[in-house]
Amino acid sequence: MRRLTLMALVFVTLATPATAQSPEDLANDISHKVMSPFCPGVTLHDCPSQSALDMRDRIEGYARAGMDEAAIMERLETEYGDAIRAEPSSDGVGIIAWVLPALAALAGGALAFMLVRHWTARRPRQLADGRDEPARVETSPAERQRLDAELGRLRGES
Amino acid sequence: MSPIRSLAGLGRPSLLGALVFSLFAIAAFIAASRTGRRDLSQAGKRALYATFGFTALATISLVTALLAHDFSLSYVTSYTSRSLSVPYTISSLWGGMEGSLLFWTTLLTGFSALAIAKAPARNSRLVGAAGAVLMGIAAFFLFMVAFPGNPFAEVAGDVPVDGNGLNPLLQSPGMVIHPPLLYTGFVGFSIPFAFAIGALFTKRLDDSWFTATRQWTLFAWTALSIGIVLGGAWAYTELGWGGYWAWDPVENASFMPWLTATAFLHSVVIQEKRRMLKVWNVTLIVLTYGLAVFGTFLTRSGLLSSIHTFSEGPIGKYFLPFLALLLVGGLGMVAYRLDALRSENRLDSLISRESAFIANNVLFVAAAFTVLWGTIYPIVAEVSSGIRLSVGPPFFNTIFAPIGLAIIGLTGIGPLISWRRMSKGAFWRMVRVPLGAGGLTVLALGLGGLSSPGALLSFALCAFTSTAIIGEFVRGSRVYRRRDSVGPLTALNRTIARNRRRYGGYIVHLGVLLIVIGFAGNAFKVERRADMAPGDTLDVGSYTLTYEGVRTATTSEKDIFEATLAVSRGDDGVGTMRPQRNLHLAQGQWQSEVAIRTNPIEDLYVVVTGFDTDRSAVIRTFVNPLTWWIWAGAAVMLAGMLVVMSGRAPVTVTAAKRAPAKREPAVAR
Repeated sequence: MRRLTLMALVFVTLATPATAQSPEDLANDISHKVMSPFCPGVTLHDCPSQSALDMRDRIEGYARAGMDEAAIMERLETEYGDAIRAEPSSDGVGIIAWVLPALAALAGGALAFMLVRHWTARRPRQLADGRDEPARVETSPAERQRLDAELGRLRGES
Repeated sequence: MSPIRSLAGLGRPSLLGALVFSLFAIAAFIAASRTGRRDLSQAGKRALYATFGFTALATISLVTALLAHDFSLSYVTSYTSRSLSVPYTISSLWGGMEGSLLFWTTLLTGFSALAIAKAPARNSRLVGAAGAVLMGIAAFFLFMVAFPGNPFAEVAGDVPVDGNGLNPLLQSPGMVIHPPLLYTGFVGFSIPFAFAIGALFTKRLDDSWFTATRQWTLFAWTALSIGIVLGGAWAYTELGWGGYWAWDPVENASFMPWLTATAFLHSVVIQEKRRMLKVWNVTLIVLTYGLAVFGTFLTRSGLLSSIHTFSEGPIGKYFLPFLALLLVGGLGMVAYRLDALRSENRLDSLISRESAFIANNVLFVAAAFTVLWGTIYPIVAEVSSGIRLSVGPPFFNTIFAPIGLAIIGLTGIGPLISWRRMSKGAFWRMVRVPLGAGGLTVLALGLGGLSSPGALLSFALCAFTSTAIIGEFVRGSRVYRRRDSVGPLTALNRTIARNRRRYGGYIVHLGVLLIVIGFAGNAFKVERRADMAPGDTLDVGSYTLTYEGVRTATTSEKDIFEATLAVSRGDDGVGTMRPQRNLHLAQGQWQSEVAIRTNPIEDLYVVVTGFDTDRSAVIRTFVNPLTWWIWAGAAVMLAGMLVVMSGRAPVTVTAAKRAPAKREPAVAR
C-alpha cells in the first residue's frame, strides 16, 4: 500500500503540462486572466459581447506580432488600468486580498484545533451533585488490540 | 386585447394593509412571548395570516397588470411587451428589482404563515418570539415594496402603447425556475433564523428551535442547491461562453449562504448527538440568513456595478442598516446568551467523527469567507485607498480549489470514523480500501496519459470518497442480507429505509462527487474560434465541423439567423448542429442560441457570434469533457435530499429521558 501511495505521489508531482502555445491559445489563456471592460464582473473569456470578441482578436494580434503574455498584460494595463487584471496583484493593496483568507483559514483551523484539544483534555467531569466523575480506567495497548480485533470480527460477522 | 383585467389599483393598498397587519402581529407576538398567553399568540397568528393574504393579493394584482399589459405601471413597461409569451410575462414578476422584492416578501409571509401554523402550541413563548422576528423582517420588506421599491408606481406622462420587453437573456425556461428557487432558498432560511433568535430571546436553548425548523432548513438548502445548479445550467445554455460558473458576484451571492448552511446542516448533527456546538450552530444560522439577505442586497442595490451607484439606488440606503441590525442583533444575542449555550459534553478523542465534522465546518466557513472577501474586496479597496482593482475567477480558483479538495477528502473520512473515539488501528482498517481506490485511480489515469495534477488529485479524492461511501452501503446491506436472507436490492432498500437521514446524506455526497468529476473535466476543455465561409471546416478535439450556410426566418419577437454545421468524427458523420444568432426586435438586442451535443464523456458546444453579409459566420466551439456529470450529480443530490427529508429525526436517549414534554413529534422529523 505504501508503495502504491508513493507511486501515486510521484505521478502527481511529475505530471505537469508543458506545451508551446499558439497565438490563439495564448489569447484564450489571457482572456481568462483579464476582466471584460464590457461585462461587469465577468472575465473577457466569459463575456459574450461583440466588443469582447473584438478585444480577444486584438490580443491574438499582439500574440501574432510576437508579444509574450507579460508584455500583453502590461499593454492591457496601460490601456485599461489595474482593474483589467482578473486577480489582485501580489503587492500593494492587492496582497491583502490574498493574505486575509489564508490568515482567516489558518486562524479558524488553529482555533478549532485548540478547542478540540481543550475538549479532549483529560480532566475530571463534575457530576450533578458537584463531585468529580471517577477517573476512567485506561486500557493497556494489549487490551486495545484485543478490543479492536473483537470489534473487527463483529463487523465481519454482521 | 388581453382577456385579463388589470387589478393594479388593489396593489399598493394591499401592501399598506399588509404592512399594518405585520406591525400588529409583531406587537401581539412580542406580548405572547413575554406572557405566554395563547390568546395573544392566536391574535398574532391571525394578523400574520392577514399579512400573507394582503401580500399575496398585491402579487396577484401585479401579475394581472403584467398579463393585461397595463403599461400605466412603470414596472410593466420596463419588463414586458405585447409580444412576450405568457410564461415569460409571468416570470417578469422577478425580472426587475421591485417585482422580485414583492415576490421575496410574498414567499416570506407565506412561509412564515405555514411555519407558525405548524409550530406546536405548547411552545407559545418560542413561537411568539419567532413570529415577532419573522414579522419584523416582513415589515421591513413590506416597507421597501410599499415605498422606495414600489412596483405599482405609474409612468410619468403618456401611457406607452408597448413596453420595453424582458431582457432576451431572461427569456429561457431556466430563468422561469432558477430565480424562484434561489429566493425560496434565501427566504426559507428566515424560518430557522427566526426560531434561533426566538430561542435566544426566550432562553429556550434546547433542541426545540432546530427540531421545529429542521424540515425548513433542509427544504431551503435543497431549493438553494437546485437553484444554483439551474443557474449554472442557464449560463451554460444561454450565455454562449461554454462554461457554467464564472465566480461573478451574483453567483457568489447565492453560493455564500449555501456554504454556511451546508456547514450548519453538518454541525447541527453534533448538537443532536452530543449536545455540543450550540454557540456555533446559532452563529451559523445567523450568518447564513445574514448572507442570504446580503445576497439579495448585493444583486439588487447596484453596489456591484459601482460604489457610487449604490448610494443613488432606491433601496441600498435602507438595506445596509437592516443587514447590520440582523447581524449585530443576532450575534449580539448569541454573545448575551453565551453561558446558556455551553456544551453539555466534551470530545473524547481527536480521532472521532465529531472532529471530522468540526474540520468540515472550518473548511466550509473558510470557503464562505473567501468568497465573501473576494466579492467585496474591490469595494473595500476602492473605499479605503481609492484604487480600483478586480477579483475574478483566477483568485477564487486558486484559493477555493485546495479548500474544496480538502472538503471532498473529509467527506470520505467522516463516515469511516466512529462517534466519540476510534483507535488508530481501527481507523487504518477502515481507510485502507478507499485509500487504495484513490491510489489505483491515480495510477490508472496517469498510465492512461492524464497529466494535470489538479485533475488527478480530484479524481483520486472522488475515488477515495465514493469507495468510502459505497462501503457504508455495502456494510449496511450485508446485515440485512444475512439476517433476512434477502437479495442485494431489498437489503439496500432496507438499509436506506432504516436511517434515511444518514443514507440520504450519503446519496447527496455521491451527487456532489459526480459534480466534482464534472468540474475536473474542465481541465481538458478545448476551445476553437474561426471565421467560416460556407464549405469551410474547423477541427475541435476529435470533431470536424463543416459550415453549410445560414437560414433566416422572422417571428413577431425576433429575426432568426441559423447556421447549419455538419459534424463528423473521422470518417463518421455525427449529425447536424444549428446554433442561432437572433435579433430581438423589442430590445434591438442580439442574442446567441447555443447548440449542444451532450453525452457522459463530453459535450460538443457550438455558438455563432456573428454573420457577415457574404453569409460567412464567426463560430466559437468547445469540447467540454464530463460536463454531463454535473447535471447528473445535481439530480442525485436532489434524490438524496428527498430521502433525507422523508426521514425522522433520531430521538436521542438522553434528550427523551430529560425532557420528553419538550419534544415535538409532529414536526421533529
